[in-house]
Amino acid sequence: MPDWQELVRQRLAGLELAAAEKEEVHAELAAHLEETYEASVKEGVNEQAAVQRALLQVSNWQDLRQKIQTARTRENIMNDRVRQLWLPGFVTFLLSTSLLALFEVFGAKPPVLVKVGQLPAVLLFIPWLLSLPIIGALGAYLSHRAGGSSRAVFSSIVFPVLPFLFSILLILPVSLIFGRFIAHSPAPLSLLMALLGWVLAPGGALLAGGLATQFVLSRRLDSRRIAGS
Amino acid sequence: MIGAGIKRGTAELAVLSVLQKGPLHGYELARRIEQQTNGALRFTLAALYPMLYRMEQQRWIRGTWETSANGRKRRCYRLTPAGKKKLSPLEREWAELFRALQRLTKAAHA
Repeated sequence: MPDWQELVRQRLAGLELAAAEKEEVHAELAAHLEETYEASVKEGVNEQAAVQRALLQVSNWQDLRQKIQTARTRENIMNDRVRQLWLPGFVTFLLSTSLLALFEVFGAKPPVLVKVGQLPAVLLFIPWLLSLPIIGALGAYLSHRAGGSSRAVFSSIVFPVLPFLFSILLILPVSLIFGRFIAHSPAPLSLLMALLGWVLAPGGALLAGGLATQFVLSRRLDSRRIAGS
Repeated sequence: MIGAGIKRGTAELAVLSVLQKGPLHGYELARRIEQQTNGALRFTLAALYPMLYRMEQQRWIRGTWETSANGRKRRCYRLTPAGKKKLSPLEREWAELFRALQRLTKAAHA
């Protein structure tokens, strides 16, 4: 019977893992080969044929080395949640805030003030709002490509408005309860209008692009699944 | 015989389903899958371990070294809570696909 561990070590030479991890892989694969060999011997196969049968478990050692390396290292860097939610979310957030700053500095002055009756005015950055469907679509694409669930895709799309939403939700009760004790406290009605201008309107724009993209990508995936089956 | 594409898609489901019944080491896991599918799903070492390592990275399964009764050290895999959570939607998804294909086949023969 061959020294299976030595055999695996030689055939997987060049596997780039930490020494201890590499030894673990060698030991595990060697144990599998040894059990395959022993099962064949128990069936009455002669020793040489049993060795050959065990070795048939791997047709291309170089390919196996590559696959093991990919499985044990690349996916260490980013786990699913990062790829499906945090990365697309931060990309959309960064893009939307950068675009808002750019529009403010270079073009979209003044923002449109929408005033209805006695209600406080709502500030709308129209060019920014028009660019948001593309950013929402990008968020949906990145999350979908990484295998994100519907919830992860949705969160990635609306990620840029979440900080505004949380800020308003935090300030609103404080303003309602302690407003009269705080100088220059924002009026609750102004906060509700801010919710419209900074959360609902951009959120709607992001969703328009994001959900449309998600719909198209899901349909493509479904038709590919059916074609593949 | 089931084609390679479908096999790849069902491989994770097969591993999670078998591990649901208790921890197993790689060789035994492959043997159980082969037995329980009457040989329709067969994993060679080259197919099994990259997948197990990937599933371990995704935290669906966890491997620990254990010493068996005959003194042999083996890496046993068990399902994690995340793996259990992954299993039910995966089962539903595949069941749905097979039902859809059955309907399609029936309609084609009707």
